[in-house]
Amino acid sequence: MSARASYLLPVAGIGVDGAPPLEFRGVSFRESAARPDRHFDLEVRGGTITGIIGDEHSFALGFDPPPAGEILVFGAAIARLPYAKLLAFRRRLGYLQVGDGLLQNLNLRANIGLPLQYASDHRTKEVAARVEEVIAAFGLQGAADRRPAQATEEERRRAAVARAIALDPELLILESPFDGLTAHAGRQLLELVQMRRDGQPRTIVITAQDLGPAVTPLIPRVVRLLEGAAVEGDE
Amino acid sequence: VTAVVAAIGQSGARQLSVIGGLARFTLRLIGAAARLTRAGRLVTLRVLVNQIRFTALQAIGLVSLLSALLSFLVISQSAAQLGRVGALEKMGTIIVVAVIRELGPLLTALIVVSRSGTAIAAEMATNRVMGEITALEAMGIDPYIYLVLPRVLGAIISVACLMVVFDAVALVSGFLCASTTGMSIRGYSQIVLATLSAKDVWITAAKGISFGAAVALFCSFQGLSVTAGPTEIPQAVTRGVVGTIVAIFIMSALFVLLTTA
Repeated sequence: MSARASYLLPVAGIGVDGAPPLEFRGVSFRESAARPDRHFDLEVRGGTITGIIGDEHSFALGFDPPPAGEILVFGAAIARLPYAKLLAFRRRLGYLQVGDGLLQNLNLRANIGLPLQYASDHRTKEVAARVEEVIAAFGLQGAADRRPAQATEEERRRAAVARAIALDPELLILESPFDGLTAHAGRQLLELVQMRRDGQPRTIVITAQDLGPAVTPLIPRVVRLLEGAAVEGDE
Repeated sequence: VTAVVAAIGQSGARQLSVIGGLARFTLRLIGAAARLTRAGRLVTLRVLVNQIRFTALQAIGLVSLLSALLSFLVISQSAAQLGRVGALEKMGTIIVVAVIRELGPLLTALIVVSRSGTAIAAEMATNRVMGEITALEAMGIDPYIYLVLPRVLGAIISVACLMVVFDAVALVSGFLCASTTGMSIRGYSQIVLATLSAKDVWITAAKGISFGAAVALFCSFQGLSVTAGPTEIPQAVTRGVVGTIVAIFIMSALFVLLTTA
């Protein structure tokens, strides 16, 4: 394993020190100029797990800006960044999109290794060691050489989440991570990603249409988006 | 009359829009390549090696076969006709002008379009439909660098190398044909070398670069332009292949105009 703490190439000059990992300011995911009360504010504090449930659960942070308001990631208005800087900045956050987004022509091992190869200045051996570390942590040893189409849905989801945390990001955004998984598998998946390599809790934001009873106890804060307004609590 | 003019205008506007889109696509690729990091270069190199394996190495057999057959067809017909009028020495001109200068690059590019152009367009369209482009961007990877750049470089290198293979096989095959008329290898070499010039080497290199770039750029552009879903994938492949074939023929004609002017 590498002696260096971070696998990530540094991204200079973007973001604000001490800013919350994720903040929504006057955001609306619907064109609702006539209903300004349906714009919501939400701040996600560092090291916490937050569930955002409701119909609008795909944020795509930066690539698909909301019709109104702005989303700040580590204090940076991510949608306003030039494309090249946005790409560099995006490596600071892990992201699981709806489905899994695995590259079909690569096996699961290569999928997990891709962000490490691209955004790390580590030696090939160090990258390979980190990939094996993540594969072992996610119990994918038996499936690592399969392509996504040959793997089960649970293996694919595990591989996609493993890829999202390969660079050990401070902020992890999981879109509908438990869809198609058993309660046990969903709970196990969430437990796997909670901690960073240095033992600090990771900031995790989970978006879903609904959360199952098995994972709800692991998510201290749940915010429901109701017709565009944010309501604390899942009731 | 208005309807006809409108239809022509619409078609023209569509073509212009495609050319404009392709120009933007190319400029964006150049911009992405200029920002390539060291780690990005290594990943690109790995994908590039794979592309050359698929596009060039695996096509050598097909290119050699078609080159040998084309050369056989052209030389056997030419030898028969030229022999009648006692102008066998003109065979070298026919080999160089018809096979090496014109048909070789054209046929090589068409082979690459049919094998790799279709694969590139289908793969890119699938990448788009399956959400893989979003996934790459989410990982901070520019899809132009990871997907398009290695394919463009791979196609340029592959088409140029396959043209050399095509020409070499055509010359050998041409000799085998010519030898049936009693021509010696020395006589054949003299005839061919008398017609070949350094200009042919430069033209072949220029055609390799431009045809290769056309195959990968046009097919990638059409593949990535898919938005509606899986049903659009075969349409994107067709648009990519047809557009590339037209572009290659137009470029061939431009090469003739430029080099004979």
